Amino acid sequence: MRGISRRKFLKVSAKAGVAAFTAGAVSPLLGVVNVTEAKTTKRSKVTPFRFVVIGDAHLYEMPNHRFDKTFERAINDIINMRPKPDFVLFIGDLAQFGKVKELEKGKRYLDRLKKAGIPYRIIPGEHDWYLDMGKTWKEMFGRPYWSFDHKGVHFIGMNSILVRDYWTARNMSPWERMLAIAELECHICGLWGVREEQLEWLEKDVKNLSPDTPIVIFTHSPLWDYYPRWNFQTEDAPQIREILSKFEKVIAIHGHVHQVVYNKTGNMVHIGNLATAWPWPYPPVELPFPKIRMLRVDPGDIYDGVGFASTFIDDTFLGIMKYHTWADLIPEDIKDGVPL
Amino acid sequence: MRGLKTLALLGAGSVLGLGISFIFNTAEARKPFTEEDLKLMNEELIALVKKGDELWHSPKLGKNGLTCANCHPDAANTNPHTFPKFQDNVGKVATLREMINWCIERPLEGKALPEDSEEMKALEAYAIYMYRGYTLRPGDNTRAYPPVRVESGPGYP
Repeated sequence: MRGISRRKFLKVSAKAGVAAFTAGAVSPLLGVVNVTEAKTTKRSKVTPFRFVVIGDAHLYEMPNHRFDKTFERAINDIINMRPKPDFVLFIGDLAQFGKVKELEKGKRYLDRLKKAGIPYRIIPGEHDWYLDMGKTWKEMFGRPYWSFDHKGVHFIGMNSILVRDYWTARNMSPWERMLAIAELECHICGLWGVREEQLEWLEKDVKNLSPDTPIVIFTHSPLWDYYPRWNFQTEDAPQIREILSKFEKVIAIHGHVHQVVYNKTGNMVHIGNLATAWPWPYPPVELPFPKIRMLRVDPGDIYDGVGFASTFIDDTFLGIMKYHTWADLIPEDIKDGVPL
Repeated sequence: MRGLKTLALLGAGSVLGLGISFIFNTAEARKPFTEEDLKLMNEELIALVKKGDELWHSPKLGKNGLTCANCHPDAANTNPHTFPKFQDNVGKVATLREMINWCIERPLEGKALPEDSEEMKALEAYAIYMYRGYTLRPGDNTRAYPPVRVESGPGYP
C-alpha cells in the first residue's frame, strides 16, 4: 500500500478511531489490509498541530542593527499567533560570527518565546560554530543533535555543518577561520556534513520505529545536492536518506538557503526556510520545482525577502508549510502554503 | 529597395576605404598581440578582479558590518549585462556603478564611492567578470540572471 491509497487509509482510520482496522479491511478502495499494518497505523496516529520554523537571524554585535529589527518582528508575530504554535524550531545561524554577544542577543529574543509559553528547539548553523568550534553554542543550548516525539510525530534535529579542518595547515586564527566560512562562496572550506558520530546516532535513534512512523527532520543545510558551491548540500545526505528510507514518508526542513525552494527524493519531501536577515539569490542551477519559489525582492525594504514559516500537520501526516512574510514575496498559488 | 542599394554602396565604399587606409598607414599597422602580450594584459585584469573580490567581501564599504557578498555571493543577482537600465528604486535609467553606490549607501549604510575611483572600478570588474560570456541585454528588467557556475575556488583564473 503506497502513496495516495496509503494516505486515504490513514484518513479513514483516523476518522473511524478504534474501528480503523475494520474500516480498512473492508474498504472497497483498498482491498484487504493485513492485521499488523492496521495495528501500527493505529499506534502512530497523529493529533493535528502546528509548529513554527524560524532561522538565519545572523545577528551582529552592534545595537539596533537592521537584522535585530527583522528578527524581533518575527518573534513578535510568533508570540501573537493564534492558536499558539506547539513549539518553535530555530534552524541555525543565530549569530553572524559566532561571538558570545551575538549568541546572547539571539538567546534573549528566543527566550521571549519561552516566556510567552512557546517552547523552542534549536540546531546550529556554520555562523554559530566556527569561532570557538561550537563551545559557546553548546554551553547555551546543549546538544547540537537530538530527537523527540510530539503528538505522534518523531522529530529529529542534526548538526549538518561540520567541515574538514581547513585552518590548521593554513595557520589560521579562530577569527580568520570564522571569517572564511562566513562567506557563502568560501574558497577553502569544502563541503560539510553530519559525519560518522551523528550517522551512528541516527541509525540507533530510528532503529525501533515502525515504517509508518511520521518523521520530520531538521538540518541547517538541504539533504540533497542543490548547489554544493554554496554548501546548499550536506555531504553525507545520501547516508541519511538511506537510513530514513524505511519510513513511508519523511518531511525534511532546512535553512541556510534563505529562500523558497522545494524538492522530492524517494520517500522524502524537502523544503527551505526563509531567513529573517536577508534573502539569498537563486544559484545557477535549475530549480527542481520551478513554481515553488519566491518573487523579486525590493532591496531597499529590510522587511522584504525575509520571514519565517509555520507548518500544520494533519491527522494523516500531510503537512502544509506556510511562509510568513511582510512583503509581496510568495507567488499566489503557494500563498496558502506548500503541501508537504 | 532603395535603402538596400544605399547600404550595398556604403558597404562597398567602406571596404574600399579600409583598403586605402591600410595602404597609407602601413608603417603604423598593428600586428596582433602576441600570446605573451595577451597573458600580461589578462593578468592585469585578473588583479583588478581580485581586488574587487576582496572589496566585495569587505565590511569597510559600509557601516553595519554587511558586505556586498551578504546578498550577492559570487556577484549573483547583480546582472551587470543588463545595464544601463531603468531602476524602479531610483526612478531613472542607471548604470552598474550607480547601483553599486545605491547598495553601499542603503543596505550597507555606507558612503558612496567616487564613480571613477579604483575601488569602484574593481567592484565593477569583479561583478562583470562573474557574468562573463553573457549576451549584453541593456534595459532587461524581466528577470534575475545567475552568475557563471563555479565548481570550486575563487570563480576566476
